[in-house]
Amino acid sequence: MTAQALLQIVVFFGLLLLITKPFGSYMARVFAGEKTFLHRGLGWLERGTYRVLGVDPNQNMRWTTYAVAMLLFSLVSMLFTYAVLRLQGFLPLNPQHFGAAQMPPDLAFNTAVSFTSNTNWQAYSPEVTVSYFSNMVGLAIHNWASAAVGIAVAVAVIRGFANKGVDGLGNFWADMVRGTLYVLLPISLVGAIIFVALGMPQNFDPSAVATTLEGGKQTIAMGPVASQEIIKQLGTNGGGFFNANSAHPFENPNPLSNFLTLLLIWSIPAAITATFGKMVGNSKQGWAIFGAMAALALTGVVVATAAEQAGTPHLAAAHLETAATALQPGGNMEGKEVRFGIAASALFATVTTGASCGAVNAMHDSFTPIGGLVPLFNMLTGEVVFGGVGAGLYGMLMFAVLAVFIAGLMVGRTPEYLGKKIEKFEVQMAMLATLVLAASVLGFTALSSVLNLPKEGAWAALNTWPGSAYGGADTVYGATTGNLNNAGPHGFSEIFYAYASGTGNNGSAFAGISANTPWYNVTLGLAMLIGRFLMIVPLLAMAGALARKAQVPASSGTFPTDTVTFAALLVGVVVIVGALTFFPGLALGPVVEHFQLQALATH
Amino acid sequence: MTDLIFVIASVGFFALSIAYAYGCERLGGGRR
Repeated sequence: MTAQALLQIVVFFGLLLLITKPFGSYMARVFAGEKTFLHRGLGWLERGTYRVLGVDPNQNMRWTTYAVAMLLFSLVSMLFTYAVLRLQGFLPLNPQHFGAAQMPPDLAFNTAVSFTSNTNWQAYSPEVTVSYFSNMVGLAIHNWASAAVGIAVAVAVIRGFANKGVDGLGNFWADMVRGTLYVLLPISLVGAIIFVALGMPQNFDPSAVATTLEGGKQTIAMGPVASQEIIKQLGTNGGGFFNANSAHPFENPNPLSNFLTLLLIWSIPAAITATFGKMVGNSKQGWAIFGAMAALALTGVVVATAAEQAGTPHLAAAHLETAATALQPGGNMEGKEVRFGIAASALFATVTTGASCGAVNAMHDSFTPIGGLVPLFNMLTGEVVFGGVGAGLYGMLMFAVLAVFIAGLMVGRTPEYLGKKIEKFEVQMAMLATLVLAASVLGFTALSSVLNLPKEGAWAALNTWPGSAYGGADTVYGATTGNLNNAGPHGFSEIFYAYASGTGNNGSAFAGISANTPWYNVTLGLAMLIGRFLMIVPLLAMAGALARKAQVPASSGTFPTDTVTFAALLVGVVVIVGALTFFPGLALGPVVEHFQLQALATH
Repeated sequence: MTDLIFVIASVGFFALSIAYAYGCERLGGGRR
């Protein structure tokens, strides 16, 4: 690792640490319904919204009511987006005249699910597929709503631990409104202006055509980029305005915007650990969770950066300089922006997959096998390395319940967490949430690794890329491995990564897979739905059961959960559950590829 | 027609998710 890489990691983690406590305390006040400095300017909007919606913010919802409200809100907003995408040809702000041809039903389904579930997997190139209206109304609305849903669910799960003998988890609508108005909106307003100042476009112009020095024509896409970019990162959404995502100079103009982006992605997920500590009345509990997340994050950053900086034996065999010098970066620069280099790309990959963001500033498909294993592992372990907005915390609390259960088994006592007895039902729900994710990732990966769909006849459409919508020819793939750019273990990683990204609601693409076919659109759509909603429901059930319980006083047999020992146990449980569940898959993909690479094998 | 299939499938998934929530509730012994 270079000195610059080390310095960047230290400064980044230092700033993250600095904002965690004040921002987390602020969010705790917001979700407790207390007044903050923003209430003077926005309080009327909050009260007005409740009045229009007919919501009593003080109504305490049982967990089932909370879950049903969340599910119905998601369904209605998802169908709205589906309609906007399919009807974009009849809607305004469409200077490129995109229509239903660019957005067939399977792609509209995939995209609507993707943005509703905070995944933002994009099986299409945005600049040649979706209108400005689709971007700003159909998609960006979910950048706000899905982030607010994630935060609301996390706050509800926290209340499960904090409430004592109360049959309720708060009010879903109030949590949504408060999260949007007092957390997402002010930061987005200020951030979008900063992004414009850093060079991001914010206009409704059609694409510009420039004449290059050689006399050729280059089309330069335009649009309201800054306003979408800020919430894309803050809400850990990740869906790009352009196909190249944060590697595009209009989405990420310079190293400063890159650094701000990284801070934005992890700001809410890190701060919400302090919110957790504040709400349960013991800030050390929040720091223990933060510590576990930070340990996993640092390990990931160091491994990915070291692997990318080391390069590959192929580069060395070709007598290329693989060590960093004053004049060139060394290491593996394939698929990386020269503006950012290895350190900022490896840090970005770790941050975006540790969170459920999925924005990319480099092509993960071009990472070394070990460098690529880090983002894959982050997603497979449920994205709890700070994680998605809200999703990271409730995922980590799921692991915390499993950790105290395992610790309880070791000392032969009924496990407790924050004074709540962890009994059969809570462990069942935590395991259900864990197993649902594993079943989706492994099941769909296995299917797509072996399925041989017909290349002729009506069923051939199942795995056909609709190139005719873009003025080219359709491509019929047949076998579901036909969509891959690579054979062998790297090809397997491309499929494995896609379903890990979909189920984990990450949305980053390993690339190297042509996923815009009905088969991949539908199965990845299902993976995203399963990964989002079938995980949230059991966690809300667990929280609902915990909220009803009375707090038991700590005894000599209580395993303290605000210590370094607990944080280490938590890290162990995350790694072991991830390793036991997904090691066979990782062995078939990046691990085999690493050894092949070391043996200078070519595939 | 294909649009209708996707809409019905989406509604079906969320209906099943609500049933799944109440299934979890029953597993926990229902309302106490």
